[in-house]
Amino acid sequence: MKQNAKTSLVLLALVFVFLTLATAFHLNLWGRQGPLPRIALVDTNFLSTATARVSAAELFSSPGADTSDFDCYACHEKGKAPTIRYDAAGTIIIPTEHKDIVMGHGTHGRNNNCFNCHNETKLDTLQSRDGRELNITNSPSLCGSCHGPTFRDWEAGVHGRTGGYWNTKLGEMTFKACTACHDPHHPKFPGRKPAPGPNPLHPIAAKE
Amino acid sequence: MNRRNFLRSSALALSGVAAIAAALEPLRDLTDYTSLQRFFQKHYKQLTPQDMERILARITTEVEKQYKIRPHVKDYKPMDGVEFVYCLNLTRCIGCRKCVHACVQENNLSRDPEMQYIRVLKMPHGSLNPEEGDAKYNPEMVPEKGFFYMPVSCQQCRNSACSKVCPVKATWTDSDGITVIDYDWCIGCRYCEAACPYFARRFNWKKPEVPKERLNPNMSYLGNRPRMQGVMEKCHWCVQRTRVGQMPACHDVCPAGARKFGNILDPNSEVSYILRNKRVFIQLKEEVGNNPRFYYYFDV
Repeated sequence: MKQNAKTSLVLLALVFVFLTLATAFHLNLWGRQGPLPRIALVDTNFLSTATARVSAAELFSSPGADTSDFDCYACHEKGKAPTIRYDAAGTIIIPTEHKDIVMGHGTHGRNNNCFNCHNETKLDTLQSRDGRELNITNSPSLCGSCHGPTFRDWEAGVHGRTGGYWNTKLGEMTFKACTACHDPHHPKFPGRKPAPGPNPLHPIAAKE
Repeated sequence: MNRRNFLRSSALALSGVAAIAAALEPLRDLTDYTSLQRFFQKHYKQLTPQDMERILARITTEVEKQYKIRPHVKDYKPMDGVEFVYCLNLTRCIGCRKCVHACVQENNLSRDPEMQYIRVLKMPHGSLNPEEGDAKYNPEMVPEKGFFYMPVSCQQCRNSACSKVCPVKATWTDSDGITVIDYDWCIGCRYCEAACPYFARRFNWKKPEVPKERLNPNMSYLGNRPRMQGVMEKCHWCVQRTRVGQMPACHDVCPAGARKFGNILDPNSEVSYILRNKRVFIQLKEEVGNNPRFYYYFDV
């Protein structure tokens, strides 16, 4: 009789344990990771293939664009070279009318003289190092007149951005002018905020 | 049997059944029931054009049912006389991660749980060891002084470890150099993930989730069609773009023009120019012997 009672007790305890386990698994009481916070969709700006700037060439070729910035003779006299003022250290003082220009071309500002690139008498054109007169939209020839190896790489499609097709039989490969990415007065490629990094799958990794 | 015995044995039996049900409970997470057609589908290399048409129709209906957008699914074959090579200019990469997200967008990668094929490693100057890279950087401004950035994705190796270890040959290198995966053949054993030295292969632990508004309907069978839970996936150099002559999405979005892609068998391509003229640090982990088709180089 006693033996029977003991067996019944043990079996009853086992039943109780099994039922507790069943409830615990069913209700996810342990062994499951908690839900991670939803990962936000990335800002579509990070998906854009637009260049850092708009080059003069692009500006002039897009209909309805505001090209008033390039209308030099709205203020300047034709045929008269504007006077450049220098400060005590010999640096050019940017006039207030052109205050949105930040000069920073070359180490130690070696190339900060306006007329190194701009033609003094014909202000709406550019002049290269070897004296050629260039159209204001022709930045590759101007920049290439000093930056030879970079220009050679650009012509090969290796410097800067190319787009379109690698297989030129199926489509065109597009090239960008220098000023589409580089500000001609401050050419160093600008830094930016990076897109979000990887989100881990596991909450423990997320805490690191 | 008397009443007491009956009650005792039925309580035991019920608790036993309850315990078995609790043990089988994770099966409730299995949402992807495979269709009969997919179950009996042959390996990609054994498919006839008619088989492929039926499969593409099935995929189109599945995607339309799930996303309410009718996709354009095609099977792109490699072009003749083409071997792709990718070159990345480490002097130019600024670590902005736009390539990562352009890839996610183009290839219908899962957003939550998150899947990203490209990992951008922030490397200290002087080091070319990927183990010293940090993928989780998040400063206010990149590039940071004293570091350079090295994006790593599938290197499309000539002697790939992943295709060697796959027990079912669900992954192989095509004639144009791209290592592809047949998602319907993959069994999800993850040997390839263990074999790859670059952590290029990604596994779908959960069902991938792509928001409807961001779905790319231009899909390919071996490339960016929506994957299922339990299969491997990886960068495939945008087969739906490169096999029709275009550039991969990461190439087109890079703001600094650090990425160059092309046909190495063409002596006039950009990548041929780079490998002839630039200081190429060859390949990551070249001592392992995978001989990748991905080259990192410097400008000066």
